[in-house]
Amino acid sequence: MSNRVAVVGGGISRFDNPRYELHEEMCAEAVREMLADNSNIDYPKDIDAVIYSYFSDHLAGQLCFHWIIHDYLGLLPKPAYRVESGGATPIDALINAFMYIKSGIFKNVLVVGWEKMSELDTPKVNEFIAAASDTDFDFPVGGYYTGYYAVLETRHMYLYGETEEDLAKIAVKNHNNATFNPYAQWRSQHGTTFITVDDVFKSRLISWPYRALNCAMISDGAACMLLASEETAKKFTDSPVWITGVGLGTDTMRPGDRVDNPMYRGLYSEDESIYPGVSTKTASPYPEMANFGSIRVSGDMAYKMAGIDNPVKQLDFAELFNPYDGVELAEYEDLRFCKRGEGKILVREGVTDWGGELPCQLSGAHTAAGHPVGATSIAQAMQIYWQLTEQTANKWKTKARALSGAQRALLQGHGGTGCQSGVIIFERG
Amino acid sequence: MAYKPKKIVESLEYNKQWDEWARQGNWSPVGWRWIEGPKGYRLDKLSTTNYLVIQRPHASLYHHSYGMTSKFFKGLLEKKLYGSKCPKCGSIYLPPRAHCWNAECRLEETEWVELPPRGEVHTFSVMAFSATPFLKTLPFIIAYVRVEGCCTTVPTRLLKVNPWDVYPGLKVNINFVEHPKGDIMDIYCTPAETPDPSKRIMSSETIERLKDDMRKVKEWVVRKFGSEAKPSIEI
Ligand SMILES: [Zn+2]
Repeated sequence: MSNRVAVVGGGISRFDNPRYELHEEMCAEAVREMLADNSNIDYPKDIDAVIYSYFSDHLAGQLCFHWIIHDYLGLLPKPAYRVESGGATPIDALINAFMYIKSGIFKNVLVVGWEKMSELDTPKVNEFIAAASDTDFDFPVGGYYTGYYAVLETRHMYLYGETEEDLAKIAVKNHNNATFNPYAQWRSQHGTTFITVDDVFKSRLISWPYRALNCAMISDGAACMLLASEETAKKFTDSPVWITGVGLGTDTMRPGDRVDNPMYRGLYSEDESIYPGVSTKTASPYPEMANFGSIRVSGDMAYKMAGIDNPVKQLDFAELFNPYDGVELAEYEDLRFCKRGEGKILVREGVTDWGGELPCQLSGAHTAAGHPVGATSIAQAMQIYWQLTEQTANKWKTKARALSGAQRALLQGHGGTGCQSGVIIFERG
Repeated sequence: MAYKPKKIVESLEYNKQWDEWARQGNWSPVGWRWIEGPKGYRLDKLSTTNYLVIQRPHASLYHHSYGMTSKFFKGLLEKKLYGSKCPKCGSIYLPPRAHCWNAECRLEETEWVELPPRGEVHTFSVMAFSATPFLKTLPFIIAYVRVEGCCTTVPTRLLKVNPWDVYPGLKVNINFVEHPKGDIMDIYCTPAETPDPSKRIMSSETIERLKDDMRKVKEWVVRKFGSEAKPSIEI
C-alpha cells in the first residue's frame, strides 16, 4: 500500500451548449490533447484499464455509452467500467482509479468523463436531473435541484445571515475567472467582459435566493486524466503531481431528512450548537438543512491522509463543487476553511478571490466554466494539474489566473444535494 | 399490460389512453435540421462544419408500487395524514419510513400513526423556473415543513401567502386538494397564523426585487401557456 499514485497527464474538450460533436468525438478530443502534450505515453499500450464517468442515461438516450466510447478510443479489449453517482460521478471515477492503482492490479489507469446535456430543452433537463432525487417525495413537488439547493441556502441564510450580495460576489469571482479560461462555456457565450454584482441581480430569478448567474450551466463537454503508479510515473513525466489524500462521505437522499439525522448526532460535537455571535437562531445538530455533512466527512478523511490540519495555510488553491453559489459558501465551512457560519466572512474579505489566501474556482467552475456532469470534476482536476505543473499560462495563453509555485490543492465534488461527496488532495512532486 | 397485479382490491378504471401515451414517440425520428456549427476542443481552435440534428421523441408509463409506505399514499387519497412511528425509539417519520434508521433500533419495522394536519416551515424557496410538468404553475413557493411531532421535514407547496411573509418557524396548516390522486402533491400548506413582519428574512430591497421578479415570471408563464397558465402566487 506504500505505492504512491501520480497524475501524469490529461486533456479537456471545451464546455459549451450546444456542442454538436458526438459524445465519443468530444472524448477523443480530450484524449488527443493528452497525447499531444505527452509524447511519452505509448497509446494505447500504456493504458492498463479505463474508468468511465458519465451521469445520465436519460440525457443521452443511450445506455452503456461507455462501450461506445471505449471502442471508439481504440482501447479494446482492455478492462473498463463505468462509475455513476450523480454529480459525484467524475470525482468518484478519479478516486476509483486511485484505488485501482493502490490495489496493485493496474499500473496506469485512464479516466474519461463527459456529458451531453443540450439534446433536451432546459425544463426537461431539470426534470431528468431531478430523477436523481426521491421521485416519491421531493420530485413531485416540482422544486427540482434548483429548488432543493435554494431551500438549503435559505436555511443557511436564516441561521447565519449571509446576503444575496454575498452570493452575487461569489458569482462575480467565478464568472470573471472563467473569462480567461479557453475551455469555458461562459466565455464562449458571453465573451471576456467582467461582470458585476448588479449583473447578477439583473439576471433572471430561478429559485430564490438563486438567480441565473448563481446557478450551474447546462453543458456539453469532456475531459480525461491519466493516473499512474509511482513505478511507472517517471516514464511519463519528470514533474508528476501526486495524490496524497482522498476522502468519501454520504448524507441523506432527501434534504428534508437532515433536520435531526441520528447518523450525524455526536459526529461533530464542535458544530452541534451554533457559534455564539454568529447566530442566535436555534438549529438542529450539524449539518442540519444548511451545511453539507458528506463534504465534512470526505474532507476530514482526505486531510487526515494528506496530513493537513490547517487547510487555509496548507492549501494553495481549491476547485470546489459549486452548482449554486451558496454551496461554495457552505463548503468553506464544511471543509474547515472557516468556522460554521463564517463562510460569508471569507467572501467579504476576498480570501477565495484571485490574489486571496486560498483562491477557489480559478477555472470558473460549474456556474461559469460549465457543468457537463460526468466531465466537470475531471476538468477541474486537469486545471489543478496544469496549475501545479505551471502549465496554466501556456494553456490559457495568459498569466491572468496562473499561479506560480503552488504546491498543494484540493478538489471537492459531490452528487445530489450532497448525498455523496469526494475530496482529493493533489501535491506537486 | 406489463405489470400484472396479484389481486386488485380497489382501483381507478384502467384507461387505454395511458398505454397510448407510453407508445407515443418510439425513439423514431420525426424531423431533422442541417446545421452549421463550430468544431474544436478549445475556443482558440475553432473551425466551422455541418451537423445533421434529428428530433427523436420518447415516452414511458411506469407502474410504480409505493411498497410498505403505501398506507401513507392511500391515506392521501382518503384525505388523512399518516406518519410512521418506531415502536422502539418513538421517532415519527414524515416522509414515512417502513424501517427505523436509528442505529440502536436495528431497522425495526415502524407502525402507522395519524398525524395532526399542522406543522411549521423549516425552510423554503420561491420558484421562478422549474421543469416541464410545473412550468404552468410558476411562480410558486416550495416549503419543507416539519409536521407536529416528526423528526423529518416534508416538501410541499405553500399557498395563500406572499413570499416575503414566509420565514422558518411560520406555523402552517396541511390541506388536502379537492381530488387527490395519490402523490405528495395531494397536500399543500397555508399559513395557520398571520405572518409576523418582524420575522421576515428578506430585506426591503430584496422584497422590491422579488416583486419585480414575480411580475416578470407571471408575464413569461402567460406568454408561454396563455389561458392554461396557473401562477400559484397572487400579488
Ligand atoms: Zn427507532
